Amino acid sequence: MADQMQSQGASRFGRVLVYALLTLMCLYYLLPLYVMISTSLKPLDEIRTGNLLSLPVSPNFEAWIKAWSGACSGVTCDGLKGYFWNSIRFVVPSVLITTIVGAFNGYVLSMWRFRGSDVMFTALLIGCFIPFQVILLPMARTLGTLGIANSTTGLIFVHVVYGLAFTTLFFRNYYVTVPDELVKAAKIDGAGFFRIFWRIILPLSLPIIVVSIIWQFTQIWNDFLFGVVFSSGEQQPITVALNNLVNTSTGIKEYNVDMAAAIIAALPTLFVYFVAGKYFVRGLTAGAVKG
Amino acid sequence: MGALSIRDVRKSYGTQDILKGINIEVEDGEFLILVGPSGCGKSTLLSMIAGLDSITSGEVHIGGRLVNNLSPKDRDIAMVFQSYALYPNMTVRQNISFGLEIRKVPKAEQDKIVAQVAQILQMEQLLDRKPSQLSGGQRQRVAMGRAIARDPTLFLFDEPLSNLDAKLRVEMRTEIKLLHKRVGKTIVYVTHDQIEAMTLGDKIAVMKAGEVMQYGTPQQIYDNPVNLFVASFMGSPSMNFIPCQVVSVNNKLGLKIETGGQTHVFPVDAKGLENYMGKEVIVGIRPEKITHKVDFLAGAPNFYVAESLIEIAEPTGADTLLMVKMNGKDVVCRVHPDHARTHGERMPLMFDMSKTVYFDPLTELRIA
Amino acid sequence: MTTTRATSTIKASDHSGRTILDWFENMLPKIVVAPTFLCALVFIYGFIIWNGYLSLTTSRMMPNYQFAGFIQYANLFANERWWTALRNLAVFSSLFIFGCLAIGLFVAILLDQKIRAEGFIRSIYLYPMALSFVVTGTVWKWILNPGLGVEKVVRDMGFPDFTFDWLVNPQYSIYAVVIAGLWQSSGFVMALFLAGLRGVDDSIIKAAQVDGASLPRIYWRIIIPSLKPVFFSAFIILSHIAIKSFDLVMALTGGGPGFSSDMPATFMYAFSFTRNQIGMGAASAMMMLMIVSAVVVPMMYSEMRRTRRG
Repeated sequence: MADQMQSQGASRFGRVLVYALLTLMCLYYLLPLYVMISTSLKPLDEIRTGNLLSLPVSPNFEAWIKAWSGACSGVTCDGLKGYFWNSIRFVVPSVLITTIVGAFNGYVLSMWRFRGSDVMFTALLIGCFIPFQVILLPMARTLGTLGIANSTTGLIFVHVVYGLAFTTLFFRNYYVTVPDELVKAAKIDGAGFFRIFWRIILPLSLPIIVVSIIWQFTQIWNDFLFGVVFSSGEQQPITVALNNLVNTSTGIKEYNVDMAAAIIAALPTLFVYFVAGKYFVRGLTAGAVKG
Repeated sequence: MGALSIRDVRKSYGTQDILKGINIEVEDGEFLILVGPSGCGKSTLLSMIAGLDSITSGEVHIGGRLVNNLSPKDRDIAMVFQSYALYPNMTVRQNISFGLEIRKVPKAEQDKIVAQVAQILQMEQLLDRKPSQLSGGQRQRVAMGRAIARDPTLFLFDEPLSNLDAKLRVEMRTEIKLLHKRVGKTIVYVTHDQIEAMTLGDKIAVMKAGEVMQYGTPQQIYDNPVNLFVASFMGSPSMNFIPCQVVSVNNKLGLKIETGGQTHVFPVDAKGLENYMGKEVIVGIRPEKITHKVDFLAGAPNFYVAESLIEIAEPTGADTLLMVKMNGKDVVCRVHPDHARTHGERMPLMFDMSKTVYFDPLTELRIA
Repeated sequence: MTTTRATSTIKASDHSGRTILDWFENMLPKIVVAPTFLCALVFIYGFIIWNGYLSLTTSRMMPNYQFAGFIQYANLFANERWWTALRNLAVFSSLFIFGCLAIGLFVAILLDQKIRAEGFIRSIYLYPMALSFVVTGTVWKWILNPGLGVEKVVRDMGFPDFTFDWLVNPQYSIYAVVIAGLWQSSGFVMALFLAGLRGVDDSIIKAAQVDGASLPRIYWRIIIPSLKPVFFSAFIILSHIAIKSFDLVMALTGGGPGFSSDMPATFMYAFSFTRNQIGMGAASAMMMLMIVSAVVVPMMYSEMRRTRRG
C-alpha cells in the first residue's frame, strides 16, 4: 500500500516535472516570436529605454507601415511590398510546376518501371543532397546566356529544376504504397497510361499533393541563396529584400521596422503552417525518415 | 479448339529460370487450378496468360488466337486479384462498368450489364457504395462482378480467397463453384490451398519450382500421385511416408514395419515392388486408411491389423487424429472418436493397403 | 469460339503483332520522365562537372577555360579565411548536430508521456521550421544585440556587469550562429524522434515492465537503441543543413565581424560573386561537395549494409 502511494507520489512528481520542462521549452520557442511582435509594435525610444521582454506601452503599427511601403532596402526605399509580390510571382508557378511534374514522375517511377528507372530515381535522389554551391556558377552563366538572368522567369527556372527531385521523391514514395494490383486491374480493363493516372491514381493523391505544395511553397518562399545569386535589384525575392533592409547601415537602426519586416516576410509560410500544419509535418517526416 | 493452350512456355529473368517449359491444354468451360507452394511460378504463369508479364519463349493461345504480343485488354480475359483491386474512389457500379466505359459500350447497355451482374451476385443494394464501405466478402463479389461484366473467354483468379477469414473462405468457395456452373466459362485459378484445389477444379496442375509435376483431375491426383511431392502436397492431413524394407514372405512381397514394440510384415500385392526386394522403399498411406479395427474387415485382403502405441491424440470432433510411430517415423491415423484411445495407451489399428503408393527413396518417383 | 457479345466489345486483332500505338504506349512512361531526367543530367551532374572544371582554371571575374591544375585548391588552403570557414564549419556542425539531437530527443521523450494538448505543444515546437533562415537570423540578431538585447534584459534584472556581445566578438560569433540554428531546427528533430517513438512496439515495453524495469531504464536500454534509424536520418539531414548554412550566417552576422563567423558557403559566395575570384569560388564549392559526400556516402553505405545483412 505504501509502495503504491509512494510510486503514485513519485509519478505525480514526475508528471509535474515533465509539464514544467515542456512549458520551459515552449517559452524557449515562443520567446523570439514574442520579441519580434512586441518590438515591432514599439516606437524607437521605447525600445532603447525598455528591454526585449517589456510589453509595448502603447502599441502602434507605424513600424509595420514603414516596413511595407517606406523602408529602404538596397537602393530603393519603397518598403517590402514590391518584393512581396515578386516572391508570389515566382513561388506560385514554381510550386505548381514542380508538383504536377513530380506527380507524373512519381507515377512513372513507381508503377511503370522500366529498365534503368530505378537508376534514374537514385540519380534524382542524389540530386537532393548536393550543396547548391556547386551549381551556382554554371547556372549564373547559363541564365545569362538564356537571357533570363535577373528575372522572375529565371528564378522559376532554377526553383523548378532543383525542386523536381524533392517532389518526385514525395510522390514516388507515396505511390509505391498503392497496391500494384490496382494498376494491373485497370490495364486489364483496358485503361492506358493517362487514363489510369487521371481516373484512379490522381483521385487518391490528395494527401501527398497537399504535402508537396506546402513543402515546396515553404522551401521556395524561404529560399535566400538562389534569390541573392540569381536576381538583383527590383526582381529580388522578399527574403533578399529583408536581408538588405536589416543589414544596410544607413543612419539609425530602426529595430522595430526590422522586426515588422521580418514578420511580413514570415507571414505567408507561418500562415500555411498554422492552417495546414499536420500535412507539413507529414511532409517533413516522409522525406526524412526515408533517409 | 480449347479455350486456353499453353505450349512450352518458359520465363527467365536473366539467368534465373522461373518457368521451365509449361504445357497445358484447357477445354472450353473447364475449371483449371494451378496449385503449388510459394515460388513455384503459378502466379507468374497467370500473369503471363493475362499479358501482365512477358513470355520468354513458348506460345499462349486464348480462344484459338495466339496472344503472345497482345496487351491484356486485347486478350479477352478478366482477372480477379487476391486483394480485390477495386478502384477506391469509384462506386461499385462504376467499378464494374469502368472496363465497359473504356471500350465505349453505350450507356444503356452498360446499365443493363451492371444490373445483370448485380443480380447474379446478389449485390443490387451495394451498387452505390464505395469499396471502403464494403466487407471483405462483398468486395470479393464486386471484383468477380467486374470480371463477369466483361464476358471474356477466360477468367483468371489469383488466390482470390487468401485474404478472407476461414469461414468466409468456405462460403465464397461455394459461390465461385456455383458461378462457374451458372456462367459456364473457362477459369484458371491459382491457389496455394490444396482444399480449394480439390473442391473447385475440374483439372489440377500441381507445380513446383517452375514445372508442372502432375496434371489431372482432383481424384487422379489424390489417388495416383506421380511423385512424393504431389503426394505430400495434396490431402490434409497429408499422406504418411514410411520407409520400409521390402521382404519376401510365403513367396509374396511384404513390408517390414516395426510399431508398438513389435515387428510386423504387411503382405502387399503391388506390381513393381519386386525390383526392390531387400531394399528400402517409401510407403505412402493416407491417414484415413489407418483406422480402428473393424472386425469384419480384419481378415480381408489388403487389410492388416497391428497394435501401436499412441503418442499424441488430437480430437477434431468429427474424428480423432492419432499419432503413432512406425519404423521410427511419425504416422497420423484417422480414427473414429468413439474408438479412439488416448496418448500413452496401446491400440490395434487397421491398415487399408489397397490405395497405398510406393516411392523410390532416391528419385522420389512413384514405383507402384 | 468467342461469344457474340464479346466480339463486339473487344478490339479485333487477328494478328498477334504489335502496332505503332503499342510502341508509343510502351515509350510513354519513358517520355514522361525524360525531361526531368535530362534536367538532372544537365543541371546537376553536368553543372558539377562544369564547376569542377572551373575549379581547375585561373578564372577571376570571367571564366577562362585554360587548364591550370590544382592551383586554386592550393590557393584555397593557403587562405586563412578558408581555414577559418572550415574551423567554423566543424565547430558549428558538431554543436548544431549534437545539440539538435539532444534537445530533439529530450523533448520527444517528454512529449511521449501522453501529454494533454500534445498537438498544440508540438505545433509550437515546429513552427520555427516554417520560417526562413533569414527571418530567424534577423530575429536572433536583434535578441543577441549587444547593448539592447539579452544583455540589457539581464542587466535590467539586476546584474549590471553582465555582458553578452557574442555577436560582435570575433571569438564567439560562430556560437551565436549555433544558438540561432538550434532554435530553428531542434523542433524538426523532435518531430522525427516523436514519430520514431510512436513506432516502437508497445508489447516490447510491456514485456520490459513485467520484467520489472523502471521507465528511465526502459528508455535507455530499449527504446533509444531502437531509434537508431531515426538518429541516422536526423544526422544526415542535420549535417546537410549545417554544411549548407548560408542564409542564417548572412542574416545573423554577415560572416563577421570581419570573417570570424565565415562558413564555406559564405566564403564561396563572397569569392565567386563579390570578389570576382570565380576559380577559387568554384574550388570552394567542390570542397563543399566533397565534404557532404564524405559524410553522407559512408553513412548510406553502412546503412545499406546493415539493412542487407539484417
